[in-house]
Amino acid sequence: MAIIKSNQEIANGIWRMRVSGAPIGRAGQFYMLRVPGTLDPLLGRPISICEVDAKSGETTFVYQTIGRGTAQFARLLPGQTIEAQGAYGNGFSLKSGHAVIIGGGIGTAPMLQLAKELRASDPARRIDVFLGFREEAYLEKEFKPYADSVTLSIGGYIVNDVDFSLDATYYACGPAPMLRAAATAAESANATLFVSLEKHMACGVGACLGCTCQTTSGRKRVCKDGPVFDYREVQDGI
Amino acid sequence: MESNTLSLTLCGVALKNPVIAASGTFGFGREYAESIDASRLGGISGKGLTLNGSTGNKGMRVYETPSGMLNSIGLENPGVKHFVETEAAYMRTLGPAVIANLGGHCEEDYLEGARMLNEAEIDILELNISCPNVKAGGMAFGMLPATAADITQKIKAVSRHPVMVKLSPNAPDLVAVARACEGAGADALSLVNTFLGMAIDVKKKRAVFENVYAGLSGPAILPIALRMVHQVAHAVTIPVVGMGGITSAEDALKFLMAGAVAIQVGTMTFANPNAMLDIIDGLAVYCELEKLSNLQEIVGTI
Repeated sequence: MAIIKSNQEIANGIWRMRVSGAPIGRAGQFYMLRVPGTLDPLLGRPISICEVDAKSGETTFVYQTIGRGTAQFARLLPGQTIEAQGAYGNGFSLKSGHAVIIGGGIGTAPMLQLAKELRASDPARRIDVFLGFREEAYLEKEFKPYADSVTLSIGGYIVNDVDFSLDATYYACGPAPMLRAAATAAESANATLFVSLEKHMACGVGACLGCTCQTTSGRKRVCKDGPVFDYREVQDGI
Repeated sequence: MESNTLSLTLCGVALKNPVIAASGTFGFGREYAESIDASRLGGISGKGLTLNGSTGNKGMRVYETPSGMLNSIGLENPGVKHFVETEAAYMRTLGPAVIANLGGHCEEDYLEGARMLNEAEIDILELNISCPNVKAGGMAFGMLPATAADITQKIKAVSRHPVMVKLSPNAPDLVAVARACEGAGADALSLVNTFLGMAIDVKKKRAVFENVYAGLSGPAILPIALRMVHQVAHAVTIPVVGMGGITSAEDALKFLMAGAVAIQVGTMTFANPNAMLDIIDGLAVYCELEKLSNLQEIVGTI
């Protein structure tokens, strides 16, 4: 059981929740968050790690209020508890050298911890961040300490701003059309791209098979085998 | 100790307690064994198998509803051969009774699957004639007494394992189906599978699921499932395993009082992986408080 330290709206319908007491995870992993003691909503909601502070043991989530579950999260106050089952999923693996990070909408959230870990693992590497939003930007300032550049696009197509011909590793998380565009661009430039997928899931641990997707090596579970995949593996499943 | 007060025999198999992981909610035990002590469970019913395996349904597969969820997984599974060669032996290492759940698209698939399962060291074969998410199969066998009896009798003829038939709450006359299965030689019955439901995405103006209809489970169905278990348990003499929205020891007790000798927990495990262990603990406490020498004393008291 985690304890909520803060829970505030940082943009329209976008909330940042900081908790302590959740098992520590890493970039690209997620938790099934659930308000304790209620059967409605029943299931946990998969929310990825936005930031981990290993020193204080605190984990930050940034989530969008979409349905009943996330609306209930937004009503939680500091001091209240939340079930944080996890950390689940494979997470991003940190490749050496130049990193290009692409985040779209709420898909921006997991990329902050990724930037942080990439920077910590190699202070000298170049990290370029591209963030796309429909109407309003958030978290863009938080990337600055870890990035050599942060490019913003509001109401446009952020993938169009990315040069896929660099000798770099590309990481993307965002809506499916954005990931498909990134995959297409990466394919024509023969770039290395890892994508973090999102699907409806009930359990988060690989048991319900609600989130499986077609890959080049058979069906895989987004929650357990992913959510991070080499785009070439899941191009038909995005 | 719980092992004494909670123990029972189901189809000749000793269970240390009446709490069984429901098919389709626990894989073959591997995933949850990472986070809970799965050896404490009474039994595990593995993911529903079909003869040649399946990639399952396309599109949206899980969708939450008030105190419940709809699923349209479509029996995604690795096939009976893989189960026999790999998963059955793994499940055996966990400790709880091993139950293989077998579905099918046609009679020959069912029978061949059952024949192959004779090679596996399982305790019980749960005959799934109630999956609502597979076209031209599964549930089609479980809707009418005649077809249910026919497949049950044929499976009994080829299987060396005790056969527990999993019934569909969507059958027009569930009690008649239950009696027919008993008459055809079923060793036990488990019920209920999911209720056929539906969801519509009003914004997109279309059904949420590609199959349009999907299976409803979770606490929302408990009162109906309880009523059905009560009706069936009072209509047959073979053991009944009850399920449908159980989230707590109190819920489990309701099903036992209604006539089930054991219960299965499914959807609640998704919400809380520890739910079944909490239920086992709660049942042990109940026996102590009520001074029962065995929990089975309350079975069918209502």
